[in-house]
Amino acid sequence: MAQSYDRYEQIKRFEKDLSQCMKCGFCTFWCPIYQEEKIEASVARGKNMMIRGLLAGELDYTSEYADRLNKCTLCMACTVNCPAKANIPNVIVAARADTVKARGLKFPYNIVYRWLLPRRRLFGWVVRFASWFQGIFMPKTEGTIRHLSMFLSALGKGRNIPQIAPKFLRQMVPVINKPPAGVKTEMRVGYFSGCITDFVLPHLGKHIIDFLTKNGVEVVVPREQGCCGAPVFLGAGDFETGRKMADANVKAFEGLDYVVSDCATCASALKSYAKFLADTPQRKKAYDKFAKKVKDISEFLVDVLKLPASAYKPSAEAKGKKVTWHDPCHLSRHLGITSQPRQVIRSIPGVEYVEMPNADRCCGMAGAFSVNYYDLSKDIADKKAASIESTGADIVVSGCPGCEIQLIDCMVRNKLPVKVMHIMELVE
Amino acid sequence: MLEKKLIAKLEKIVGKGVVLTSKEDLTTYSYDGTTTWAHMPEVVVLPTTAEQVSQILKLADDSKVPVTPRGAGTNVSGGSIPIKGGIVLCTVKMNKILDINKTNLTATVEPGVVLQDFNMALAKQGLFYPPDPQSFLGCTVGGTIAENAGGPYCVKYGVTKQYVLGLEVVLANGYIMKLGGVTVKNRTGYELMMLFTGSEGTLGVITKITLRLIPMPLASKTMMAVFDDMAVGGQAVSNILASGVVPAKIEFVDNFVLRRIEEMMPMGLPVDAQALLLLMADGSPTAVEAETEQIVDTLKKSGAREVKVAKDAEEAAKYWKMRSAGFAATFGAAKTVLAEDVAVPRDKLAEFIGKLGEISERTGFFISNLGHAGDGNLHPAIFTDVSDKENFAKAQEAMEEIFEAALSLGGVLSGEHGIGLEKQRFLKRAMDPVALNLMIKIKSLLDPNHILNPGKIWEEERV
Ligand SMILES: Cc1cc2nc3c(=O)[nH]c(=O)nc-3n(C[C@H](O)[C@H](O)[C@H](O)COP(=O)(O)OP(=O)(O)OC[C@H]3O[C@@H](n4cnc5c(N)ncnc54)[C@H](O)[C@@H]3O)c2cc1C
Ligand code: SF4
Ligand code: SF4
Repeated sequence: MAQSYDRYEQIKRFEKDLSQCMKCGFCTFWCPIYQEEKIEASVARGKNMMIRGLLAGELDYTSEYADRLNKCTLCMACTVNCPAKANIPNVIVAARADTVKARGLKFPYNIVYRWLLPRRRLFGWVVRFASWFQGIFMPKTEGTIRHLSMFLSALGKGRNIPQIAPKFLRQMVPVINKPPAGVKTEMRVGYFSGCITDFVLPHLGKHIIDFLTKNGVEVVVPREQGCCGAPVFLGAGDFETGRKMADANVKAFEGLDYVVSDCATCASALKSYAKFLADTPQRKKAYDKFAKKVKDISEFLVDVLKLPASAYKPSAEAKGKKVTWHDPCHLSRHLGITSQPRQVIRSIPGVEYVEMPNADRCCGMAGAFSVNYYDLSKDIADKKAASIESTGADIVVSGCPGCEIQLIDCMVRNKLPVKVMHIMELVE
Repeated sequence: MLEKKLIAKLEKIVGKGVVLTSKEDLTTYSYDGTTTWAHMPEVVVLPTTAEQVSQILKLADDSKVPVTPRGAGTNVSGGSIPIKGGIVLCTVKMNKILDINKTNLTATVEPGVVLQDFNMALAKQGLFYPPDPQSFLGCTVGGTIAENAGGPYCVKYGVTKQYVLGLEVVLANGYIMKLGGVTVKNRTGYELMMLFTGSEGTLGVITKITLRLIPMPLASKTMMAVFDDMAVGGQAVSNILASGVVPAKIEFVDNFVLRRIEEMMPMGLPVDAQALLLLMADGSPTAVEAETEQIVDTLKKSGAREVKVAKDAEEAAKYWKMRSAGFAATFGAAKTVLAEDVAVPRDKLAEFIGKLGEISERTGFFISNLGHAGDGNLHPAIFTDVSDKENFAKAQEAMEEIFEAALSLGGVLSGEHGIGLEKQRFLKRAMDPVALNLMIKIKSLLDPNHILNPGKIWEEERV
């Protein structure tokens, strides 16, 4: 096929990945979507060949094209196992961006992505507004979990998810959080609070800030920070809005040496600003510099703060429990962080660690993907449930609130008595 | 264009959702593992039962619409490309392992089972199915039967056809035919199963497969030998086989592939070596010790610069991972890669390697090389670019010289990849004309309307 990149500014940037695929089909073995659907357009090879078809003028921006491109969790399982080292998720994100540029965003995404997500306070207000209705219209399910019709926060669709918190993180903690009296300040870091932590799991954010301050870290929570942009530029391909969000976040954390995140998706999105959004040399420089500061919480504790094992004491919920770890795609394959979280869990006295089979298999969340393709997302999650169940663990922990939400839904649906927690909730 | 009615009928047979007609989906069934061949189907169906396959074929036969069977589309000969359009019949949803019998040492599977899934299920029970095409992560068992695939283990254990005990095949007219059974010995009439093994989807659609298994060997050892001269490496292979041991695997990569692999995944390979041999001995622990000693000894006597025995499973896995990267190393090296699949008698390896050198010098094309040396099956590759017409034509000529060289030594056109579209130009020269004619007659007998994978294996005008 003769290909022309003229009209495809973003795809062109990943020309090497696009042309490197040699169509061996090995990715079919690793792709969570292909494993469910068994259709060639599900997998990296097929998607890449569709994009080549677009460049060759044989395909167009049809709804089928968009659908096949959107049906990818960007889990990177294809990439790390690709013998040709072709990063097809790069090409997919770029193709989404070129589509948005040519065709615009559809309702309701245009409202949510362009207008709401970049405005954290307004977004919070809308989420709060939606939360008033959740208890009224939706039936209650087990424990603190309710059905929630939450299209605005792009999570709902009959899914069992935790309810919106009565108080958001930004209302719970001050900008500057200093170590308590008697504890020496060793370091000063910024804390990046993702949307889910902010609105749904603020106690987690508070808990992490407390843990850090207790261990001699002064934690700054800049109010100007916003959504990391993952659903906007990676999920939907809206690079223009993505840049605005990236610039705001870079600015919010200026002057801080580290940006610590409890969300793997956020951390990897913050680190990929340079790859996808840098349209000028200035942005490239700023984004590269920013990326170096971003640390996942377990990476920060193990590699930067180098906490001794004695710093990890089991929380009341974790004491004496059997715990297994789910590798979020954004942590393991996107950022290469796999040993640090395991080291943290193993350091906690009185907690028994068991490795689950296929711990790094995608859980099927991937933001808007799981809303648009909820059935598919559930099928992928059920495989995870079987892995978790086989370990006999009492608790499954992860390093990504997005995965947590998926796992909670999945445990409830499969009626498994396994508690889903963030890794930091294991420690006191 | 296919009639709308036909699509509706297909949907009636298999249900909606597994009949794909959008241009986007069709694009993704237009290619296989080859670099240049592509053609769009008009519709893709993904049946789940033999009964559905039967109805699809009956419908296609009645309407004289081409049907191209497809597994995972990993073949590298153009075999699964719907070169005449029509229907692609993809078997990947027929993926149940129906039976694993540890006492009879057999397994029965549906054609769409992925080879690696099958291997994993067998390993759980201490069983082993040796044919190991290096595409095992993608390819289907049905595809390996239709291509009669082989791999590194085949030096000692033989290729796919040595393991097929029974097949269920749907014929072009829709009849579901049973061949063979579940016994190791079977002398009931002609070996018709062999007709379908390696038939590249031209004679029928395989819908059930019974395979012979062996117990998992208890031990294995991996060796790596370094050579300063490729032909000396080739001679070493012949010497080992003549010495009375048959290693489980003898694989070969040349200096070019070696350097590409080291570039892609740095692992401290001797990049100045002209050839590397990777070998494995397997069996009982004592036999493995003795064979390893003998192989190492022969390698050294044959002129290996260095011989390493992997000290543990981890190091062995590293060597084999290196070997399996060879394919990507070759295919990623140029815009268009003409990679061949010739096989020569094993005592002619050194001579053949010498001839490759001469061809390279004469034509000016660099020829890279890797392959299953223990089988005499090599994949010499020439780097070119289809869009550069002159260069591409010359590259094809050089390739023809390689075929001629292999044939002149008593070798064959294809060791394991099949003829498909890629090699049909050369078939006349590589086969007895009467045999070729017989083949075409068999095709016409089984598939009078030529609906099954038409346009493959031989050049069309002969029909
Ligand atoms: C990286 C790489 C390495 C490889 N290494 C090897 C190797 O070491 N050894 C080797 O032998 N091959 C190798 N191959 C080639 C290929 O993987 C094999 O030929 C494999 O058997 C094809 O299986 P498939 O399921 O992909 O079949 P497909 O490619 O889908 O089809 C192959 C042929 O079989 C026919 N077919 C498929 N299923 C059926 C069925 N159920 N009934 C009837 N006909 C059917 C098709 O029409 C087609 O002609 C390699 C390929 C790649 C890309
Ligand atoms: S594994 Fe890599 S090279 Fe092979 S088909 Fe998938 S993306 Fe292409
Ligand atoms: S990124 Fe994940 S979901 Fe997307 S094609 Fe690759 S393996 Fe499949």
